Formats: sequence, structure tokens, C-alpha cells
Amino acid sequence: MSAEPGFWGTRRSGVSDLERELTRLRRAQSAHAREQGGTVARASVLNLIVYADREVHARRAARSISELALRHPSRAIVVLADRGIEREAEGRIEMFCQVPIADGARQVSYEQILVRAHGDVEDRLASAVIPLLVPDLPVFLWWTGSTPTSGRSFGDLVGLADRLIVDSSDVARPEIMLPQLAHLCAQARGLFGLTDLNWTRLTPWREIVTSFFDVPSWRAYLDGITGVRVGFAVDMDGRDIHPSQALLFVGWLASRLGWRPLEALAPSEAGGLLFAIARRDGARIMVRVRPRFERGLAEGDLSGIRVQAATAELAEFVVKRQPDAAHQTATVILGGERRWERTLPLKSPAIVELIGEELSIMGSDRTYEQALRALVALA
Amino acid sequence: MRIPEPSTIVIFGGSGDLAARKLIPALYNLALQRLLPATFSVVGTSRRPLTSDQYRAELRDAVALHSRTKPLNEEVWRSFAEHLHFIATPDDAGYEELRQLLDGLDRDVGTQANRLFYLATPPSAYEAIVKAIGEHRLRGATGWSRVVVEKPFGRDRDSARELTELIHTVFREDEVFRIDHYLGKETVQNILVLRFANAIFEPIWNRQYVDHVQITVAESIGVEERAGYYEQAGAVRDIVQNHLLQLVALVGMEPPVAFDDKAVRDEKVKVLRALRQITGADVMANAVRGQYTRGFIEGEPVPGYREEHGVAPDSRTETFVALKCWVDNWRWEGTPFYIRTGKRLPKRSTEIAIQFRLAPHQLFSKEALAGLEPNALVLRIQPDEGISLKFGAKVPVQGIRIRSVNMDFDYGASFMVDAPDAYETLILDALRGDATLFTRRDEVDQQWAFVDPIIQTWASSGSPSPYESGTWGPPEADDLIARDGRGWRKA
Repeated sequence: MSAEPGFWGTRRSGVSDLERELTRLRRAQSAHAREQGGTVARASVLNLIVYADREVHARRAARSISELALRHPSRAIVVLADRGIEREAEGRIEMFCQVPIADGARQVSYEQILVRAHGDVEDRLASAVIPLLVPDLPVFLWWTGSTPTSGRSFGDLVGLADRLIVDSSDVARPEIMLPQLAHLCAQARGLFGLTDLNWTRLTPWREIVTSFFDVPSWRAYLDGITGVRVGFAVDMDGRDIHPSQALLFVGWLASRLGWRPLEALAPSEAGGLLFAIARRDGARIMVRVRPRFERGLAEGDLSGIRVQAATAELAEFVVKRQPDAAHQTATVILGGERRWERTLPLKSPAIVELIGEELSIMGSDRTYEQALRALVALA
Repeated sequence: MRIPEPSTIVIFGGSGDLAARKLIPALYNLALQRLLPATFSVVGTSRRPLTSDQYRAELRDAVALHSRTKPLNEEVWRSFAEHLHFIATPDDAGYEELRQLLDGLDRDVGTQANRLFYLATPPSAYEAIVKAIGEHRLRGATGWSRVVVEKPFGRDRDSARELTELIHTVFREDEVFRIDHYLGKETVQNILVLRFANAIFEPIWNRQYVDHVQITVAESIGVEERAGYYEQAGAVRDIVQNHLLQLVALVGMEPPVAFDDKAVRDEKVKVLRALRQITGADVMANAVRGQYTRGFIEGEPVPGYREEHGVAPDSRTETFVALKCWVDNWRWEGTPFYIRTGKRLPKRSTEIAIQFRLAPHQLFSKEALAGLEPNALVLRIQPDEGISLKFGAKVPVQGIRIRSVNMDFDYGASFMVDAPDAYETLILDALRGDATLFTRRDEVDQQWAFVDPIIQTWASSGSPSPYESGTWGPPEADDLIARDGRGWRKA
């Protein structure tokens, strides 16, 4: 049964065969560690199920999580259900496993299992995953690729999870996906936490915008916001339009500041969005979401934010991503005069970092849920 | 390790499944480890007309297939097989022949009439065999004689008592070894070592620190070829009455005064006696039964229990049981034991979890504590024997964020050896006369006393709740524990 190990390790004939193989691999590791004078305590903190419907996504995800092994000793179960290519009358499930060894990671346990589904296995997928979970550890489900749908395997796998991780960044039609996510959030309450990697990408932007209004003399501008512009990156031809991250930002502002939607208007540029919104005091303000071509940015990432406000004098709060994509500059302009400027490093938005961050959080994120709800009301 | 005295093991049902899959492979592995006495013979017997040579050939294949060590060591097997015999005992003449063989062995190889009789037959054959052992004077004139009796031992309290009385017509109680192979497992013995060889566990092993105990014996297989037996037994008789209650006893017992058969079993039986009876209306509140329907195991479709070969289409036999038990004594007052077992559950897993109470006062913020669960000490019995301890640790980020971590002790990876098979341990103990890991008559009696009222209540009305194969039993099982604000562990 054990052919040459490939990318996914060796193929095993079932759960008990697979567990035996993992035990053997762990022992080999343990023996090696002893020769080096160390010991292997098998400490694990979580189970991570990765669902992918395409092999490339599955491989990319597997590489990302093996890099996380040092921070998050875990058992990863990659579920690959590629229904597009294979059309087999009878559904069937294959399993592979390995214990990848990263440099310096010998003391840590990380086991990777591939559950590959052939044909239609909607009704039985979960039954192959459940026996593979390490008992009594939290289960994270990372749903890669397309939108979570209502299929039985989605429901079954989510039923196993304490936390569901999705990524709304690749979504071409946020007007469909985002309401689905909002609905899922409502279902999730008390059962599992839901996060969106796209929301995690927004964290530095939210932090810096919040910090403007921590300055007591600038706080009054919060109630006098007259307009907001949010730019997001597109490719040169303007074909791949992924505004979800920018929309989440708008939803966040709206939910925090108690804004109510009035209407969605026709934007002045292709791919953009324009909303008329009622401020808490009833004043009508405009919020624009605009695609921008910027070299070096991933499609959909925020490129800049401009918040305009008026009290006694006019104010602009601007955050821009630097051309190197690794820095952010925050500028405050009061009465047409530049008052303050600061450049901050911008954390790498690599998927590894994002997942790593998510895996250390257990609870659900109320702020995200509220932002999503506000956003759904807007659209 | 003391090697047993020269002796002969006589296996009734010697050509059966248990002998081929467990007993002979266990004896062969003992031989491999040089743990059998220098002069030792194995005599198999059953009604089947087999010659010793045919018997050896059959068992050679069985051992090659079922032995935990592979491949077969031909040298050791050949020498082992030389002392392997078979006598067909369809009638009195057969038993006479058996006696002559045993006497001959004593003379020729000096086994000194030390004899271990192993009843590896269905219980229906016990009576005839025990009577034959008596009538044909199979016990030697000198030396010791012992009898190993497989489970199930009786099918209720009365029949267990009758069986004990029957066996006592030929053997004294200290010669009776009632086997429960769970007790031969390393981790089960390790419960005693963990509790009583360490100073740090016993002080917190009580109601003050332990919130509750959960014991799970989960099988992913269905009824397989055993429908005939299982239809009559059900999960309570098959697993709860013996394995599960023994585990409860080992977890709940007081420190024995010595590690010997009397002291250990004295303490175990005290726990069994302290088990609060679940009778009448309590059965509704504290006991749940289920029966599997069709579903999926490891991605493969499997039939429902009533569709299995040999099962009645309207069978009311339970394949799943969950109970909430109380041990009414000073140590455990107010700390429930939740136990469950079932077939066609999502995975094969046996474990005991000691769930501790939360820290009395929480210093940390609600957000920081989001990932924290109460401490748990888990003894895994199968498939991978080991122990794990769950505790909260700080996540390495700025600020306090707490996360539960499992620290696993894996037998295989720590000692670099496979744990011996339970049957090896138990046969060796029986040969040495150590009954610590066997069940005494008063234990069996108390075990039946506990389950009989449940079985009777269930027999008189209602039927088991269906659960889909590949799930953790019927929803009622979740309700049973959720009512107390707790939940089953993810086994």
C-alpha cells in the first residue's frame, strides 16, 4: 500500500491504517529526537480542517499551514473535493498522510492528512473526517475557494467546527456572498465563531482610523463626517473587481457610527459604488468605493481611505498605502493645512500570517458581524 | 518477571475463533518473549474431529495472520507447535482420551499436573464442560488447577450465581479466573499506577476537584458475525456490565492496602456496591438506549442494525447505551460518572476522562478566557494507549490570551515498544496464579445487580431510539448530559 510518498505523503487504506502510519512516523521522529538529546512531547492545540475544491488551492493551503506548525502544533486534515473534473458514478474517498518536518520544528507535532473525495460524496464526507480529528481539541474549518454553500457536506463539516474561517477577498459578486456570510453569522451564534480573512486584512486600517479620533480635539469630527472615499486595488485592465474588503470597511464605519442607509446610487466610474447614507443626526452624506490600479497590490486590497468632515473647520483624514505596499501613511489635514503625518509599517498580508492570527482566537467577532449586517443593509 | 511453573493449558473451544485469533497468538508471543515455562504444553479440544497435525497447520496460519509481531518466527513456532496437541471431545470417550493425554504429558515432560483450563466456548457449553472436568478427573492428582471463564458471565444476577455454583462443584473460588480482557490492557493497569504510584494525582482525585467523569467505549464496527449472540445480549450485557463497570471501579476505588488480588478486588467491589441503582422511573431520567440505522463509517455506506444478517427486522436490542451513574460514597458524593458505549459510532475509541472543576476564581478577562476549558486528564485505552492532560497556557502574543493545550503521553512513542496484548498479560497472570486482573464472584454479582433493573425496565416497555451510523448516538444521549450543563467530550 505504501507507494513512494508524494506531495501528500503515502496513501493509506483507511483510518486505522492511517493512524498506524502516523504513529510509526511519530516514533521515528521521537527516536531521532532522542539521538539529538531531546524528547518529543506530542503537544497539540488544534485540529484544522481545510476544505478545497481545487487541487491548487489545497496545495497552497497545505504549504501555508505547515509553516504555521511551530506556532500552532496541530493536525491538519485537508479535504479535497474536486467535483468538476471527476465524474464517478460511485463516490469514493482516499486518504493520505505524512508528518512533514520543517527545520527546527522537530519538537513540535504537526500531522497532515489528505482526504480526497472522488465523485459525489456529499452525504458521507464528514464520516471520513470525524474519526481523524484529535479528540477534545478545538476544530477550525478553513473553507477555501468558492463561497460556502448550503450543501450537506458544508453543513456537516461546519457542525464539527468551533470556528469557521472564510475569505471574502476572491469574491467577484459581493452582493451575493456578503449577505450569505451575514446569514451564516446569524446561524453561527453560540455554535461556532466565524471569521473572514478579509476582515483580518482590514485590522491595520481600522486601527489607524480609530487612532485619529483618539485625539480629544479631533474627536468632534466623528459626528461631522461629510463623505468617505475608499479605494481598492484592481489589475491594469480593471477586469478583476473585488470590492468586498472596501465594503467591509464601509460597513464597519456605518455600524460603529450608527449610520443608516438611504440609497445606492449610480457610481461615476466603472466598478465603483456610491451610497447615500444618513448620519446619526440625519444629515445626508456620500460614501464612494473606487477601484484603483496600483502596482504591487493584490486585487481587492485597500489602497487608501479619505474621510472628510466639517465642524467649525473642514478636516480630512487620509490613509494611503505606500507604493512599496509595506508601509502606510496617515495624514491629517485641518482647514487645508497639513497638521500631522506618520508612516507605519504595514504587516505582510500573507495568508500564513492571517491564518496564524485567526488560529489564536477562539471567540466570535461581534464587530465583524455588526459590520457585515450594516453592509447588507446598505447594498 | 517470574516465569510460571511447568504447566499445561487446556483450551475448550480450541478450534474456535477466540483461540485462533487471540489465545494461540498470545501464547506464541509469550513464547517469543521467553515468558513461558520450559516445559509447557497446549492442548486444544472441541467436538471437531481434527488430528494434532491438522490443528497445528490451522493454527500456524492463524498465528501468522493475527500475531501482533510479524513475520512468524519459524524456529519459535516449530518448537511451540511440538507441544501443541488436539483431542476431539464429542463424547465421554474423548474426555477419557484427553485425561490420558494430560497424564501422559505430566509423565513425559514433567508438567506436574499443573493445569489451566480455558473455557473459550459459547456459555451454553460451560455446564457440560465443567461437569466433564469433574467426572473425568481432568484435574490432576497433584499440582494446581485453575479455570479461565470468558465473558459474558451469566446473563443476569441469578444465572451468574448459578454458573458460579456450577463451577464451584469442581473449582474453588480462588481457582476461578473470570476474564475481562479490558483489564489486561496496559492503560487500564496504568490507572492504578497513575493513581497510586504518583503523589500528585490522588489528592485531587475526589469530589472537591473532579467535576465529573466520562467513560466512553466506542466501536465503529457493527454487529458483524455476532448477531446471534448480540440479539440476546445488547450493549448493556455486552459492554456495560463488564468493561464499563470495571473501568468505573478502577477510577473510583480507594487506595488498596496492597497490590494483590485480594486487596485490589476488595476495593473495586466496594465501588460497585456504592453504585446507586437506576430503577423504575430513574431509568427514564438516567439511562438512554439507541439502535443504529444505516449511515456512513469512514466514508463507506453501512446497513442499519435491523438490516444486519441474523437480526430481527423489529429487533429492540440496544446497540448504544448512555448512563448517568452516582457512586454513593464519601469520595464521590455529587460527582457523576457519565458512561456510554455503542456500535457504529464514528470511530473506535475507548477513553476515561477526569474532568476537573474550573479554577475557583478567574483573574483574567472574558476575552482572554475564550479559549480556556477546564482541566481534563484523559486516559486513552484504544486505539493508541496513552494519557493526556489538558491545561490552559498563554498564547505567545502581546497581552493575555489563554488557550487550552493538550499534553500527550503516547505509550508507543515514549517506551518505543508495543504494549503487550491484553490476552498475553492475562494468560500469563492466570498461569502464575495472580487473579488481580480477573473478576471475583462478588464483583460480577454487584455488576449484574446494577444492570439488571435497567435491562428489566427496558424489556418491559419502549424501544431504543434510532441513531444514524457514524454519529455519536441518539440525541437523547446529548440531552442526558446537557441537562446538567455539561457535554460529551469529542472523543
